[in-house]
Amino acid sequence: MNAQAQTAPILSARGLRHSFGSTEALRGIDVDIHPGEVLAVMGPSGSGKSTLLHCLAGVITPDAGSVTYQPGPAVGQSVTISSLNEAGRSRLRLTEFGFVFQFGQLLPELSALDNVTIPLLLNGTRRKDALQRSAELLDRLGLQDNGTKRPSELSGGQAQRVAVARALATAPKILFADEPTGSLDSLAAENVLTQMLQLVREAGTTLVMITHDPRTAAYADREILVRDGAVAAGYQVAP
Amino acid sequence: MNVAILRLALAGSRSAVGRLAGIMAGVAIGVCLLLLLWGAADGLAQRDARGAWLRETGGPAYQPPVDGDPHAASVPIPLGPDTMLVARPAEHFRDSVINRVDVAALPDTSARIPGIPAPPKPGEYYASPALQELIQETPADQLADRFGSFAGTIGNEALPGRDSLIVVTGATESEIRSSNGGAGLVSEFTTNPYGDNALAYRTAFLAGGLAVLFPILLLISIVSNLGAAQRRERFATLRLIGATPGTVARISAAEAAVPCLAGALLGIALSALVRPLAAEIPVNGTRVFIDDLATDWTAAAVVAAAVVLSAMLAAGQRTLGAGTGPLGVTRAMPEPMPTPRRALPLLAGFLCLGALAFAAGVPELRSPWWEIPFMVGGFVLIMAGLVIIGPWLTLLVSRAGLRFARSAISVIASSRIAATPSATFRSVAGLVIAVFVVSIFAGGSSALRNVGVPAAVPGVLQPASVRTFIDPAASPDAVDALATQVNGTAGLHATVAYGSGGYGTDESGDQIYIEAAEAVWLGLTEAPDAGTAVLDAGFLNAWNREPVVASASPAILPELTPFAIIVHTDAAPESVDRARTLLVRSRVAAGPPMSPLDDAATGSTRLVAGLSALAYVGMFVAVSISAISLAVATASAMLDRKRILGLMRLMGMPASSLRRIVTREAAVPLLTVLLLAVGLGFLVAWMMVTSLGPAYKMDWPGADYFTALGLSLGIGAAALVSTFGLLRTSTGMSVTRFE
Ligand SMILES: Nc1ncnc2c1ncn2[C@@H]1O[C@H](COP(=O)(O)OP(=O)(O)OP(=O)(O)O)[C@@H](O)[C@H]1O
Ligand SMILES: [Mg+2]
Repeated sequence: MNAQAQTAPILSARGLRHSFGSTEALRGIDVDIHPGEVLAVMGPSGSGKSTLLHCLAGVITPDAGSVTYQPGPAVGQSVTISSLNEAGRSRLRLTEFGFVFQFGQLLPELSALDNVTIPLLLNGTRRKDALQRSAELLDRLGLQDNGTKRPSELSGGQAQRVAVARALATAPKILFADEPTGSLDSLAAENVLTQMLQLVREAGTTLVMITHDPRTAAYADREILVRDGAVAAGYQVAP
Repeated sequence: MNVAILRLALAGSRSAVGRLAGIMAGVAIGVCLLLLLWGAADGLAQRDARGAWLRETGGPAYQPPVDGDPHAASVPIPLGPDTMLVARPAEHFRDSVINRVDVAALPDTSARIPGIPAPPKPGEYYASPALQELIQETPADQLADRFGSFAGTIGNEALPGRDSLIVVTGATESEIRSSNGGAGLVSEFTTNPYGDNALAYRTAFLAGGLAVLFPILLLISIVSNLGAAQRRERFATLRLIGATPGTVARISAAEAAVPCLAGALLGIALSALVRPLAAEIPVNGTRVFIDDLATDWTAAAVVAAAVVLSAMLAAGQRTLGAGTGPLGVTRAMPEPMPTPRRALPLLAGFLCLGALAFAAGVPELRSPWWEIPFMVGGFVLIMAGLVIIGPWLTLLVSRAGLRFARSAISVIASSRIAATPSATFRSVAGLVIAVFVVSIFAGGSSALRNVGVPAAVPGVLQPASVRTFIDPAASPDAVDALATQVNGTAGLHATVAYGSGGYGTDESGDQIYIEAAEAVWLGLTEAPDAGTAVLDAGFLNAWNREPVVASASPAILPELTPFAIIVHTDAAPESVDRARTLLVRSRVAAGPPMSPLDDAATGSTRLVAGLSALAYVGMFVAVSISAISLAVATASAMLDRKRILGLMRLMGMPASSLRRIVTREAAVPLLTVLLLAVGLGFLVAWMMVTSLGPAYKMDWPGADYFTALGLSLGIGAAALVSTFGLLRTSTGMSVTRFE
């Protein structure tokens, strides 16, 4: 455990339960995520990893339990995500969180560059500034020559890097990634992963990353194992 | 075909209940309208054929003068055992025209009039049911007294429509011969409804039919492509497990056939239900008979087969064309980009109308043989041209929009439009056509308003006055008796005008004489105080707009011949019709009574005004189905993009932004082509109006146009808003899975 473990968690979940019909996807999960840490979430298919991530990020509201977001040390700043309304959660996701999924998350009609600008524009950034910041990000991810291409003209790895650029464009506090390299071959996966981690560490962004691949998990500061909707023994919240 | 593949295909169509229901409903509406359109085209022709006999004017009733000697007395051709003498005096009641046919025949004549068993005897009349009802509802001194005693109703087979006002009155031979110039000898009534205008009528209806047909076809094409994205995905799966492109295309065609066939059958049933409603629409002054709109089973079979087959072909073709490979949809085929060549049909249409406009000023060039094909061709080219140029203009505008975009909404909407200009334009093409047609209609009717009821101008014949010329054979006493009778009726005042000779004689001259005291009843402003006043006979012309001045004359009225009788009315409709009735009954008249008011109800004005009802119907149909098309296209585009739009919401884009994206995607192509459609609509209207004659001038469209335009856009907006619920639910966080 590094020093971050001692600071207050940026995101803290208690007693999360969630069912889809008769399927109990989460059966009481407690997690603390610390500012700036890279957390790998592992577990077998169907164990509830994606559901957990959605609850943490305020995409879905859990049936029971709470998720508290504490962006800074001041006590008044904490937000109970699970009790916000849809508009409030939307706002939070837009300004504080970033998302990367496995595939198909870019708007197909937009150029790579325009795709990256969308969250910035939604945040009220002027288009000129948004284009500039997006171009810088694409540069950093080695995509300087691909800005005008449409997603269908990019390779899988390139498209994932554009998605990473978009997720980081607004400088979010937490980046949620659900198998970001799941659809890539190992070389491309390695490539995307290292570049993403480099950007995340530089900016001090917290990263919550679901992965099946132990080699990917090895890049993380900490990992938890989800099994049957609960965090498996030995991976409990650090005291 | 492999069993596994077939089962997969079936499973796929079972899961898409919504899609199938949508296709079915859309096709049903389309087929219903197609059948009604077919019925209307058919019915209007039948209707006009039934009314053809009313156009019959007959052959000459007099032998031509021998040796061309103009002073030789003309010799009447006597009535024969198979002929009738027919006159068609203009008959007006309120502001409608009554088709009056006066006949005289030998008692045992074998000549027949359509719809009645035998020609009426003098003093009797046959009336259409609608007219007979009107006669019974109206006090006799306003209408019934004009016709005599009721002998029976005219059969439906001789009536254009349910509201046709037609009367056949019996008269003596001498009564008809004395009616001024209008009598003709008839042995058989014509069956040609349009005469020389047939081509013009047909083309007008053809053009109108096309304007409605296009949105219908567009609707069918849009609904049959519902859920294209999910289908592509499924077909990719089928390809992956070993189906050939041909198999997949056949599955796609077979899948389209079932809901289309069901929709077509539903549409046929629907058309039978809607028909009585459609028959309530007045066309050219009368509602049609319900049976006129009916179509036989052949029509239903042809329409259903054509729709189903073309939907199958289109579905198969689209599947082949989409190039669905085993790897499927990860790489969507880009839409071919529209090029400037799309402006060509519109330019060609312009050229056609330009040639017409040019020729309008050069009499030697004018001929219906090329003008009508150019008019229709120009109309069709411009209408098609609008739809063809639309995607290209949309592309240009969206590219410019993308360059200057400031918000995420405009970046997303502009990019989407720029990537799929044809698809986005297609969803509003129907509305564009509707606006085009509405604009033509508005331009045309603005010209009609200009020839409405004349205002009361001092010094000319007053609008609410009724006048008739006097038969030179009538006795002055009978004229005096008529004047006395008129003056004894409340609201009426008669003035007798005299001439040097009787009406229609060589001695009559250009002047008429009245008692000076009467000048005020005629609306004259400058007249002597007493004695006899003389004025230009042009005063009696209803279309005269130049004030006439009466001056003193030494002439003594009783020494002159009664020439005309002018009845001033208090302008109440009842009074005007009382005056008409008195003049018709008097038997001293040399022709039917006339009033400046009649102008508004006669001639091509009336024809075009009658067609205006059709234009409104066409507009309403076009706008409604276009609105459905817009809603379907929007919903379908939304479902195709469900995942990515859901993802946008996950990233924190509010639902309101999604609504604005969808709205913009419809508004940009619509507004891009709207101005063009309005402008071209008025241009075409101007062409049609000028070809009617120099009396017609275009004017600013009336409030009804802006209402219609606003209504069209409103209906479009409502269609769009109706999809918002779907947008919210289909992109909701709980239904989209993000992996
Ligand atoms: N929208 C949904 N509707 C119904 N059931 C769902 C839904 N989302 C998830 N589930 C169910 O919840 C359980 C957990 O799903 P979840 O997607 O969280 O698993 P996961 O660990 O992410 O699996 P994978 O590694 O395969 O992505 C599964 O049994 C799944 O079937
Ligand atoms: Mg998952």
